[in-house]
Amino acid sequence: MSETLILAEVLDLNAAQPLKAELLALRGHALTLDASAVERLGGLCLQILMSARKTWAADGVNLSLGSVSQYWTEQWAALGAPDFNNEGALA
Amino acid sequence: MTKTVLTIDDSRTMRDMLLMALEDAGYTVIQAVDGVDGLETLAARGADVIITDINMPRMDGFGVIEGVRADPNHRTTPVLVLTTESDVEKKARARAAGATGWIVKPFDPAKLVDAVRRVAA
Amino acid sequence: MDAFEAIKVTFFQECDELLADLEAKLMLLEQGQTDLETINAVFRAVHSVKGGAGAFGLEALVRFAHVFETLMDELRSGRKPCDTITIKTLLRASDVLADHIQAAQGLIPQVDEGRSAALVAELEMLTHGGEAPPAVEDEDDDFGFMPMAFDMALDEPVAAPEPELEAVGWRIVFKPMGRMYANANETGLLLRELGRLGPTTVVLDDSETPTLDALSVEDGCLTWTVDLDAAVDEAALLEVFDFVESDCELAITPLGGASNMNAPFEDEPAAVLPASDDLDIAALLAKASGAVADPVPETIPFAAIEPEPAPAVATPAPTPVAAAPVAASASVAPAPVTIRVDLDRVDRLINVVGELVIQQAMLSQRVLESGLARSSGIALGLEDLELLTREIQDSVMAIRAQPVKSVFQRMPRLVREVADMVSKQVRLVTVGEDTEVDKTVVERLAEPITHMLRNAIDHGLETPDERIAAGKSAEGTVRLAALHRSGRIVIEISDDGRGINRERVKKIAIDKGLIAADAPLTDEQIDNLIFAPGFSTAAVVSDISGRGVGMDVVKRSIQALGGRISISSVPGKGSTFTLSLPLTLAVLDGMVVAAAEQTLIAPLPTIVESLTPQAADLHFVGGVDPVIRFRDRFLPLIDVALIMGFREQPMNPTDGVAVVVETEGGQQAALLFDAIQGQRQVVIKSLETNYQQVEGVAAATILGDGRVALILDVDVIVTDMRRKSIRPDFKLAS
Repeated sequence: MSETLILAEVLDLNAAQPLKAELLALRGHALTLDASAVERLGGLCLQILMSARKTWAADGVNLSLGSVSQYWTEQWAALGAPDFNNEGALA
Repeated sequence: MTKTVLTIDDSRTMRDMLLMALEDAGYTVIQAVDGVDGLETLAARGADVIITDINMPRMDGFGVIEGVRADPNHRTTPVLVLTTESDVEKKARARAAGATGWIVKPFDPAKLVDAVRRVAA
Repeated sequence: MDAFEAIKVTFFQECDELLADLEAKLMLLEQGQTDLETINAVFRAVHSVKGGAGAFGLEALVRFAHVFETLMDELRSGRKPCDTITIKTLLRASDVLADHIQAAQGLIPQVDEGRSAALVAELEMLTHGGEAPPAVEDEDDDFGFMPMAFDMALDEPVAAPEPELEAVGWRIVFKPMGRMYANANETGLLLRELGRLGPTTVVLDDSETPTLDALSVEDGCLTWTVDLDAAVDEAALLEVFDFVESDCELAITPLGGASNMNAPFEDEPAAVLPASDDLDIAALLAKASGAVADPVPETIPFAAIEPEPAPAVATPAPTPVAAAPVAASASVAPAPVTIRVDLDRVDRLINVVGELVIQQAMLSQRVLESGLARSSGIALGLEDLELLTREIQDSVMAIRAQPVKSVFQRMPRLVREVADMVSKQVRLVTVGEDTEVDKTVVERLAEPITHMLRNAIDHGLETPDERIAAGKSAEGTVRLAALHRSGRIVIEISDDGRGINRERVKKIAIDKGLIAADAPLTDEQIDNLIFAPGFSTAAVVSDISGRGVGMDVVKRSIQALGGRISISSVPGKGSTFTLSLPLTLAVLDGMVVAAAEQTLIAPLPTIVESLTPQAADLHFVGGVDPVIRFRDRFLPLIDVALIMGFREQPMNPTDGVAVVVETEGGQQAALLFDAIQGQRQVVIKSLETNYQQVEGVAAATILGDGRVALILDVDVIVTDMRRKSIRPDFKLAS
């Protein structure tokens, strides 16, 4: 059974703490992130997402990225971040 | 969509200069004449970038920065500080208060616009 | 005028305001109000002048302002005491600052370099406590001139400086700390800026990132490696990280076959710029989230230097931020909202409103003549219209009203300079500088006030030795006051000096043939002789107060404004000059009177009462000069039509109306007219521009029926003209 977390439109400093809390609450569940609404992605939220990616991998639970916005695609590449799904799906 | 810059300075000359340079670069400019006016204007109208002078009556630039950073609605708004000289103490204090960057007066309009662009999301 | 010049005009306007403010605040300091807010206000004024001057490349002005500002900084930090000697120096420095501004504006050819240099030396002496200022030149470099840097052409791309290196590219490794984000800087924006310099390859390293449970949201744990494939100057790279260099770990190394690198990089390829701020991060973060009440964390170095007025954000802020400052500063008046309007536009409006008033009066007159009942709808409507017209006129005139402050604020400097020149100690006290009067009147007040202040210091006050010998304090006091009195503005200039030497004045007047040797003069008449044309000559006029201008010229310039001047003096105690002017040069409340077919206006403020002469109250002094009893006194009765030449023979007083008037000097007389026709506000048309100046006539106006009416100059009629007509033996030379 897979959960879906819809990411907030603005993932900045203000969004960091809530994002971490939401993810922690879903720990242990297979999770799909819906990034179709994201219009801003800052470094702090990127850290949380990268941390989540590690956490889910360590827990051996599936974490994947669902639909994404165009902004997300561009910004993810600009930030030099790896493909989100690859490692997460390993375990 | 054009970005809005809030300029806070008690000097009319400086406000005029900022206005001209920023409008020429395509920004929408709203103005305030001191720190209190600045925070009120921000609360009422919002801004993408704030440029503030330091020495002002009623509330100085440090007060503006602290006010912005303490406001959940606007704490992520970049604040650029105008300093007359590359004053190390003021810069350090402004940064400690939460300044995003600074503009050294007298400023070159190109440099000013550059600084705004660098911090504007 | 291009935009740049327009801002420059604004700058100089603002300089005037700043100088006025500076002067006012320095006066407060001088009066012992050396609180921090006052010192800060002085600092801000000088600082603003310097800031603007820098933008326009006004180097001499910036340099002087900088030295001034540096001392103010010492004072507001409390490192130097704000003592009397310092304040005196600041006052003189403000004068030189004003000179620099004028020179920059081209209003004066140049600044007195010797004076400026001497003050710079004094200011530096005070700043550095008597020691030679350390490395002043270095300090000057610190505020980097950018002469005419404000180039409005923004089209050109912000090109990085031409690369001098052979570097093929750069590797940038950086790791943001949490506080970089707290200050609203973003990694994405930094990467975007690097991307503007050339093609980049960005690799994210999350190896330090812990799992979620161990992750602290506000600490940085990501590192980016950016390879920039462009041979840009290193300075361009550092500029990208300028705002964040102490909020991140940063290493920049050249890539490729670079051979002539900057020395530091040859030795240490990975020059890591460590975060060097001694900040308490916890406190900072706590503050960012609004949990700490202390507005200025003690961990911040030099926080004590700028104890600015309690920042209004002091309250911890779960409350909305905007609310806190408002409450905290409730006692401070917000800057008034203003618009700037071209004066010509205001004057056009005033002219048109003046015409409206006349037109409205004419219409009322016609309606009256048409025989309509006063209670008719038209007549009532006209009354309302009249009220409205009057209100419009008052409102329009209020636009031009300005406080006399702008003139008064120029006087402390004058007093200092004159006092220095004549070696006297003078304290200037100003009262009522917020008194408002028409802009034209304000502007034209400066010269007479200047002249009279010079006169008061030069002639009125004694030298310190003389004062002490007379049992007075060594320091003389000159008082400059403005007040409203019966619809006019009154300016009083008084000194506590020696008073008028009447014997001497009388002797001069006799020697010059101004009065007969045996003329029976009251003290007041003697005192007022100093205004007689030809009284002042080189023999009595020194360089200071004279400048070749006598008090008669001052009097004439005041009269040209519809004003009066008089003097009262007490020997040994001092003298007071009293200047009275209309609040506006455009309208006047007057009584409309008839005198031998002519319609005249007597200014209402001069009128005490009107009465019908009874034969029993009339007497003829020497069988010729009529006087009339008024409240147990006899007043001269002046047949206005006769002395103005409207008729040849005097009228029978009991056929006319007597109007008791009082001059500025307090002299009363009764003016005899044929009849009183009413009261009304009239729009003043200057006679000088339209006709020749006529003695006894101040100006003219146009009445509701279209006729021209002359406005009487009551003072001239009561004093000068009466003397001429009835006392040929006591006559002022013309």
